[in-house]
Amino acid sequence: MQKDLEAKFLLDFEQNQNIVHKVCRIYTTNQDAHNDLFQEVVIQLWKNYSKFRGDSKFSTWMYRVALNTAISLYRKSTRRIKTQNIDDFTYKIKSSDYDDTEEQQLKSLYSAIHQLNDIDKALIFLYLEDKPYKEISATLGITSVNARVKMNRAKEKLKNILNP
Amino acid sequence: MDLEHYKKTWENQPEEAKKVSKEEIYKMSQAKSTSIVKWIFIIGVLEFAFWLILNSFTSKLEVMEIYKELKLMELLDVVYYINFIVVVAFLYYFYKNYSSISTIDSTKDLMRKIIKTRKTVKYYVNYNVLAAVLLMIVFNVKIVNTPNGIETVLEIDNINFDDSNLMTVYVISQAIAVVIMILFLFLFYYLLYGIMLKKLKRNHKELDRLEKLN
Repeated sequence: MQKDLEAKFLLDFEQNQNIVHKVCRIYTTNQDAHNDLFQEVVIQLWKNYSKFRGDSKFSTWMYRVALNTAISLYRKSTRRIKTQNIDDFTYKIKSSDYDDTEEQQLKSLYSAIHQLNDIDKALIFLYLEDKPYKEISATLGITSVNARVKMNRAKEKLKNILNP
Repeated sequence: MDLEHYKKTWENQPEEAKKVSKEEIYKMSQAKSTSIVKWIFIIGVLEFAFWLILNSFTSKLEVMEIYKELKLMELLDVVYYINFIVVVAFLYYFYKNYSSISTIDSTKDLMRKIIKTRKTVKYYVNYNVLAAVLLMIVFNVKIVNTPNGIETVLEIDNINFDDSNLMTVYVISQAIAVVIMILFLFLFYYLLYGIMLKKLKRNHKELDRLEKLN
């Protein structure tokens, strides 16, 4: 029984691990911290996996646990970083078939997100991942109306950082 | 460039170059958590243990003989029974709050529960400090009001000791002891509680702020 659960978890996680990587990229700025947060998310997901009944998609559930871990459980402060060395990101994104200008844009996007506070980071992340407001408000535990208002402000902040 | 364009860039970003394998995921899942919640639990348990040990030690001290002489034992007994009930109640709430913490809650609920768990310990420590200070005051009032009370406590046999001076010195030294104790604990908690929950409190406030605006 335990072995079945374990096998299913490993498969589920392996297929969806990119979600966790993206959360780690948003909330950390170096490879060590990335790995650290990644491991804590795995621990938290596995700890709660038996409670996962499959009434929602595994990925939906993963978003919530990963963000919760980054915002509330991860012991190191992920407070906004004012200056961000662009080179810090080269370790993260390296792919030959990825367009150069697009790579630059992605770097500026990550760099801008790093300057937001933890909650705004989560909002922007869920927006970029194209999540509906219903899911965003449920994940963060705020009303749909509040999620919209807060999202607009977060987007405004991001825009100002991207286009000063 | 508008955000919709960046959204496209986001969607097109390559996947992590180094995929984590099932074996690695398995190893990670078996590792020990280093989360804030885990620390809150460990430190909470240590704090309960610290005060319990301190309480059981003081009851065996020689000072008890003096309390017996000053007929303070009845009061002390009552205090111990009350304290026992209070400690059990605190432990119950601490465990209840701790076990209700779950990462599958919404972010806001999760933060609320973590802060609540930590607060249980904070209240427990406040209770201990307050009880200690109150007991100290009650005992001292009793000691000062008992004929030769201070002499008994300080084990002074010399009857020709200057009484008026002794009283002043005694009261002042006791007051200083109380102030130092409170300052020490305040500093300890400022460091421990403050640093550990700083990030969490800030994020909780951030989510809360908007709820209040509307």
